[in-house]
Amino acid sequence: MKEQKINLFVACRFLIGVFFIVSGAHKLLSPQGNFLYVVQSYDILPSALEKLAAAMVPWVEYLTGIFIVLGLWLRPALQGLRLLLIVFILIVSQAILRHLPLEECGCFGELFSLPLRTVLFMDTALLLFASLLVKNIEKIKSLSLDSHFEIK
Amino acid sequence: MPRRLKLSKARATFLILILSIGFILGGRVFLSAKQSSSEDFSPRVKGNESAPIQIIEYIDFQCPACAKGAKYLKKVIEENPQKIHLEMKYYPLSMHKHGFISAYYAECAARQSRFWAFQDYLIEKQDYWAPMIDPKPTFDLFAEWSGLDLKALKNCLEDKSVEEFVLKSKAEGKILGVRSTPTYFINEKMFVGQEQLTAEITRLLNEGTKN
Repeated sequence: MKEQKINLFVACRFLIGVFFIVSGAHKLLSPQGNFLYVVQSYDILPSALEKLAAAMVPWVEYLTGIFIVLGLWLRPALQGLRLLLIVFILIVSQAILRHLPLEECGCFGELFSLPLRTVLFMDTALLLFASLLVKNIEKIKSLSLDSHFEIK
Repeated sequence: MPRRLKLSKARATFLILILSIGFILGGRVFLSAKQSSSEDFSPRVKGNESAPIQIIEYIDFQCPACAKGAKYLKKVIEENPQKIHLEMKYYPLSMHKHGFISAYYAECAARQSRFWAFQDYLIEKQDYWAPMIDPKPTFDLFAEWSGLDLKALKNCLEDKSVEEFVLKSKAEGKILGVRSTPTYFINEKMFVGQEQLTAEITRLLNEGTKN
C-alpha cells in the first residue's frame, strides 16, 4: 500500500481547490443577475453568450474545486483549472488595456473586493501554482481518491 | 478486474456530482425561504403607485454605475410618469469612502421630504464630490440648494436612527441577494447594472405599447 502523507504540494492542492469551491459556491448561491452584471461589465461577449457564461462559469469553478480537493480526476481537473485561469487572465487583461471603468473585479461579490491589477497578479500566481501541481502530479496524489482507486 | 475498478471510480464521480449539485440547490432553497421572510422598510418613492412597472433600487450614491442608472431612470420616469413607480433603498458599499455619509445625508433629506431634490444633486455632481477627502461641506451646500432646514439636518445627522435605517436597508438588500450596485427589482425580478435595467424597462414599455 502506498504511503498517504501530506506535503507542501498537497497543501497547495487543498488551498487552490477550496479557493475555487468558495468562489463558485458564492456565485451560485447569489442571484444570477449579480454575476451576469460582472460578465456584462467586461464587455467582451455577445448578449446570449454573456448569459451562458454567467450560468456556466460558477459551476465550473465549484465542481473543479471539489474534484481538486477530493483528488478525483486530478489531472483533468487541474488542466481545466489552468484553462479557466488563462481565460480569466485574458479577460482581465483586455479590461485593463481598454481602460474599462471597473472599480474591482467582481469575482467574489462582497466577500472581498480586489482591483483589476491585483486580480491579474493573483490569477497569474494561481496559474503558476496549478502548472506546478500538474508537473508534480505524483506528489499531490496523497490523500486523493485517485490514489485510492489506483491502490484498489 | 480493471473494468470493475473503472466502474467504481465512475460511480464515485457520479455520487460526488449529485452531492455537490444537491448542496447548492439546497442552499438556494434555504436562502430563498430566508428572503421571503425579510422585513419591509419604509421606502423613498416616486411615480404612480399603481403603475404596471414597479421598481425597487438599491443604490450607493458614490457608485458611477448608479449615477448612470439614476439619470436613465429619471428620464424614463419623466417620459412615462403613469407607467413606472420607483422605490429607493440604500446599499452603501464599504469600498466607497463616502458611500455611508452620502446615504445619511440623503436619509436626512428624506425626513424633510426633500429626498429626490437632494439625491439629484448627489447624482449630477458625483464626479465633483466623490474624489474629495471631506465632502460634508459640499453636501451641506446641496442641502441648502435642495431647500433643507440646515439646523434640522445637523440634528438629524447626529441621530443614531439614521445610521440604523441605512444599515437596515443594506441588511435587507443582502438578504434579497444584493451584492453590488445598482441592483434593481423590477416587478420583483432582480436586475443588476444599467444594461439589464435598460433591457427590461424597454421590454416592459414595448409590451405595454402593444397591449
